[in-house]
Amino acid sequence: MRIVSYLFLLLALAVGNAQSQSLDSQQIRILALENAWNQAVQQQDAKAMERLLSAELIYIDYDGTVMNKAEYLASVRAPARDLEHIVSDSMEVRFYGQSAVVAGIYHEKGIKHGKPYSRSERFIDTWINRNGAWLCVASQSTPIAH
Amino acid sequence: MRGKILALVMACLLSLLARTQDQANRDAVSKVLALEAAWNSAEENGDIRALGMIFDDSLLYVDEDGSLQNKARFLAHIKEVGGPLQSLVTETISVHVYGDTAVVVGNYHAKGTHRGKPYQKNGRFIDTWVFKKGTWVCVAAQATPTLR
Repeated sequence: MRIVSYLFLLLALAVGNAQSQSLDSQQIRILALENAWNQAVQQQDAKAMERLLSAELIYIDYDGTVMNKAEYLASVRAPARDLEHIVSDSMEVRFYGQSAVVAGIYHEKGIKHGKPYSRSERFIDTWINRNGAWLCVASQSTPIAH
Repeated sequence: MRGKILALVMACLLSLLARTQDQANRDAVSKVLALEAAWNSAEENGDIRALGMIFDDSLLYVDEDGSLQNKARFLAHIKEVGGPLQSLVTETISVHVYGDTAVVVGNYHAKGTHRGKPYQKNGRFIDTWVFKKGTWVCVAAQATPTLR
């Protein structure tokens, strides 16, 4: 009886370990996608961006503008500013079955209407896993008040 | 003949499955919208207990000043502000259901007083809900003031 309990314990530990390793790798994957997003914006690469976004994407920009996927891709292709630098930090990822929520801070520096600017925004992105691929279905940013 | 019968059975099953999925999505939308309405009235009334049941313990909340709050901090903030929130009206733009996850997008208009001064504010929000242990709970919410 003791041996059976011991075997069950080992099995539970093995399953737990495998699950946490899988979660870690999913977390790395999601963070890589977030970084790929920044690169695509900086390089105005709408094609790369398209692969990260679900067809149903809802995007709320820092000024409250709501965009669908086509509108957001158009803004990536022809941004209203010259971007010099984009980086995200303080990212937290939470998994809920086939979805993941990422919160973080996005810093952007560039030139707009001939004037240099920099801003920091807090964002939350919601990702859905579809057939093994993570796609962003919702994204919102809010300027951080200083 | 056997192939035709099998194809017919498969078509019926797929149609039934699609109909069941549609119904499940409709149920999810109405439940999540009811919870959104319950959130508004709980926030208007400063009902911390009701709010506590709406949010998951893992809640990530980004307020309109860009601050990140967890569930305890958000509830403490509501308690501290302590109303009087005269009204909190939301207008839903869309609800999307992805299996056990639902995303609600909308506008809000809040009216109240803070430190004796009246205020009015408008903004947009996205709330993410997940179906956990037989109920929908909010796991992420964010507000962005509308600047134009």
